[in-house]
Amino acid sequence: MTLSRRKGDVWTLVTMLGFAIVLIFLIYPLADVFRYSFMDKETGNISLSNWKEFFGRAYYMRAFSHSIIVAVATTALSVLLGVPLAFFTTRYKIKGSILLNTFAVLALLSPPFIGAYSWITMLGRNGFLRIALASIGINLPPIYGPLGIILADALQYYPFVSLMTSGALMTIDRSLEEASENLGARSGRTFFRVTMPLVMPSLAGGALISFMMSLSNFGTPMIIGGNYLVLPTLAYNLFTSEVSERPGMASTVSLILMLCASVIILLQQWVSSRRKYSSMLVNRPTVKRLGGWKSFVAHFICYLIVGLSTLPLAVIVFYSFRNTKGPVFVSGFGLDSYRQIIYDVPKTVINSFTYSLIAVVLIVVVGTMLGFILARRRNFSVKVLDNLLTIPYIVPGTVLGIGFIVAFNRKPLYLAGTATIIIMTYFIRRLPYSVRSAASILKQIDPSLEEAGINLGSPPGRTFRTVTLPLMKAGIISGAIMSWITSMNELSASILLYVGKTMTMPIKIYLSVIDGYFGTASAMSTILLVVTGVAMFIVNKYFNRGSETFISA
Amino acid sequence: MTSIRISNLEKRFGDVVALADVNLTIGEGEFFTLLGPSGCGKTTLLRTIAGFYRQDKGDVFLGDELVNNVPAYKRNTGMVFQNYAVFPHMTVFENVAYGLRVRKRPAAEIDMRVKAALKNVHLEGYESRTPDQLSGGQQQRVGLARAMAIQPRVLLFDEPLSNLDAKLRVDMRDEIRSVQKALGITAVYVTHDQEEALVISDRIAVVNLGRVQQVGAPWDIYKKPANLFVATFVGKINTFEVELGESAGQGLRMARRGTIELIVPSEGTEGIDRATLAFRPEDAVEPSSNSAAGAAEFDAAVAAKAATEVIHVTAAGAAEFDEAAACACNCLSGALSNASFLGTVASLELEVQGERMVIERHRPRERDIPAVGEKVEFAVPPRACMLFDIASGKALGAGGGR
Repeated sequence: MTLSRRKGDVWTLVTMLGFAIVLIFLIYPLADVFRYSFMDKETGNISLSNWKEFFGRAYYMRAFSHSIIVAVATTALSVLLGVPLAFFTTRYKIKGSILLNTFAVLALLSPPFIGAYSWITMLGRNGFLRIALASIGINLPPIYGPLGIILADALQYYPFVSLMTSGALMTIDRSLEEASENLGARSGRTFFRVTMPLVMPSLAGGALISFMMSLSNFGTPMIIGGNYLVLPTLAYNLFTSEVSERPGMASTVSLILMLCASVIILLQQWVSSRRKYSSMLVNRPTVKRLGGWKSFVAHFICYLIVGLSTLPLAVIVFYSFRNTKGPVFVSGFGLDSYRQIIYDVPKTVINSFTYSLIAVVLIVVVGTMLGFILARRRNFSVKVLDNLLTIPYIVPGTVLGIGFIVAFNRKPLYLAGTATIIIMTYFIRRLPYSVRSAASILKQIDPSLEEAGINLGSPPGRTFRTVTLPLMKAGIISGAIMSWITSMNELSASILLYVGKTMTMPIKIYLSVIDGYFGTASAMSTILLVVTGVAMFIVNKYFNRGSETFISA
Repeated sequence: MTSIRISNLEKRFGDVVALADVNLTIGEGEFFTLLGPSGCGKTTLLRTIAGFYRQDKGDVFLGDELVNNVPAYKRNTGMVFQNYAVFPHMTVFENVAYGLRVRKRPAAEIDMRVKAALKNVHLEGYESRTPDQLSGGQQQRVGLARAMAIQPRVLLFDEPLSNLDAKLRVDMRDEIRSVQKALGITAVYVTHDQEEALVISDRIAVVNLGRVQQVGAPWDIYKKPANLFVATFVGKINTFEVELGESAGQGLRMARRGTIELIVPSEGTEGIDRATLAFRPEDAVEPSSNSAAGAAEFDAAVAAKAATEVIHVTAAGAAEFDEAAACACNCLSGALSNASFLGTVASLELEVQGERMVIERHRPRERDIPAVGEKVEFAVPPRACMLFDIASGKALGAGGGR
């Protein structure tokens, strides 16, 4: 709309590149998943046999209901933890609320299975907490199974609810609440009739993200779920099981998972399309100071919630410094576990850093260019591309992994066992976030700035470089760091795609946990946690971008 | 110095016709304003000149050069934007130097021209400031300096003052005008503010519904509006439909609405028996001052009255000849429904025989602002009455050219 439009300019090429990427790395593998699902195992003909079997056998249906139960319970618990935290920290003076926020976000961004395995070390069969509690006569129910999954998931994902809700609470125009009180409503009534309805869209948005994450989470149920199968672990088992490999059935489970995810995405779009009540922030809500026991209760609740979610991380760090002898922890502290990593698997650490950095460069370059055409060059083909780019949102990592194995295990694109396939997984999973974020940054940049550049004689390319890009820089870098964190921590797709020489840290942690080498797992998890924490700190400190960056990621 | 010529221009957005049949010639060094309500197409026209829009039909010439196919960045037009569009990541100096750097001018020349441009807009010493340290008015000065620094063929202004507060708007307006005149650059200025347009322009094009309604000097636009839209958009005006009656001689004829009877110019009304009558609030005069000071002006009307024996006495007990004569000349009276005192004028809203009319009293004395409900008398000089065709809205005759 703003830059002079001519056929065959650089942005047309970018659009074509976008289509090529989506076709090769998204449509093509997913088409294979689709094909397998509708193909009879024996005859190879088109058939609904997989679908009939899924809905006919209790084994599959159970996994389906497990997934729903876990996701619903996780969401409910996330709301229960997130809303009070959001309310207290935004409306009342809570000492150390910035620190609380930081730790909540750290839990959110930590590798997706650290929580699960940390809870095992605490409450598993030989968990120290279980043993300690049992010695004073308290016998806890086994942590393996749905309870463990829900606990680990909720304590990781509740910040989605708390961050989005507090964002909304902070942007409510104070005069709306004042108006309610002026019209005679008590503060309780004001809260439920004015404040809550105003933050509801954001709260619901956060809850739906929790639901989505829990539904597609693979690492947590794999580690702590025991025999309690959910859809992602079922798909993984069906695909990798040596005794009864069922790619057709795994594909069907994948499609069902994607269908569930699509419903959530649609709900999410519906929620966010309803009126957002953000105001011009003329009248920010005030932060009240509480006194006496009220203040104590508020502090206690906030610190309890964040403390619970930080506990698993602290335990991991603690364990990483314990001395080990093979898989067994022995008394005393030291750097044994770290030494072991450096001697045994330095390649894993290097792989993680190399792959994620290459992926981030690709994500940033392609994401920014596609974001630009999305924000500034809307035409029919760009709109189609925009819609295609929502696909990764509904494709759980496990499903993408399955698609990649099938599609890139043959000509013309044989990528099995390469680093490329892992990098492309990171790339395609993160690309839509990067595109959206670039587009939204651009939408905040007044197009007349670009017009001014052009009007002053600078061609569109140079204007983009000298005006647009510098203004996008902070947003792009913080987005890149977020992409890097998530790529570093990616497990669900890469676990299906790695071979020995392309192993990454999350995969190694997962395997160590399965084999019982908790020391190595803890040390590696600690490295990932530190990396995540440092990255978060940089985003916060140098780019002055708060929590919204972390939730949009 | 460059002239601008636009011929048969048409621009559509989908099915919406944004501009049609636009033909304009803007002279070298002229300050030319596009005036119209929002959505009328004035900004579209400006952006088409700048090259941000490509027209569907017609030509745009800058000087002798046909620029239809010249991309925006090669047109060398200096645009000043409504929301300033000052680059927030550059200092004031870098903002103004931007276009010069693009043109690869030597450093010394850039330095000199940036300083000169900033001096022109009274921002010397602000070189190293960043835009967030500047007020809105200062940012717009940077925008102006930046547009001038490239020595553009024409300056384009897209409602540059609409984001500024009232006082600053007036200062900046005068400044823009004086800088433009000093440099002698052709300027095209878009605004929806008719007062701004009248003050700043050499000529104005009033635009509505994608079409140019009238082009003319401020005086002509205000005093001789080409149609009812221009008359109502520029300045305040009272309008009501009348039936045109018999001739009153001396180029005048009768106009009636109910019991209202007025003598109006007959020029251009031949064969027409209905029209829209319009007069400006400030043209209404007091009946007494009318007879005392402006008697000569109404000679014709008085003669007409004598000739036709139309006597229309509204003022009760008007016995003296002077007053009677004056009132007979388009004298009206109505009950006051609202009065606003604005300092130099008082604006009176009256109910005249069922019609709502607004008149103004200049340099009002206390007694000129009566109480609500009181009767107010006023006269509308025949030559102040403008007539417009009811169907087309086109002005009949020369209009109120007093």
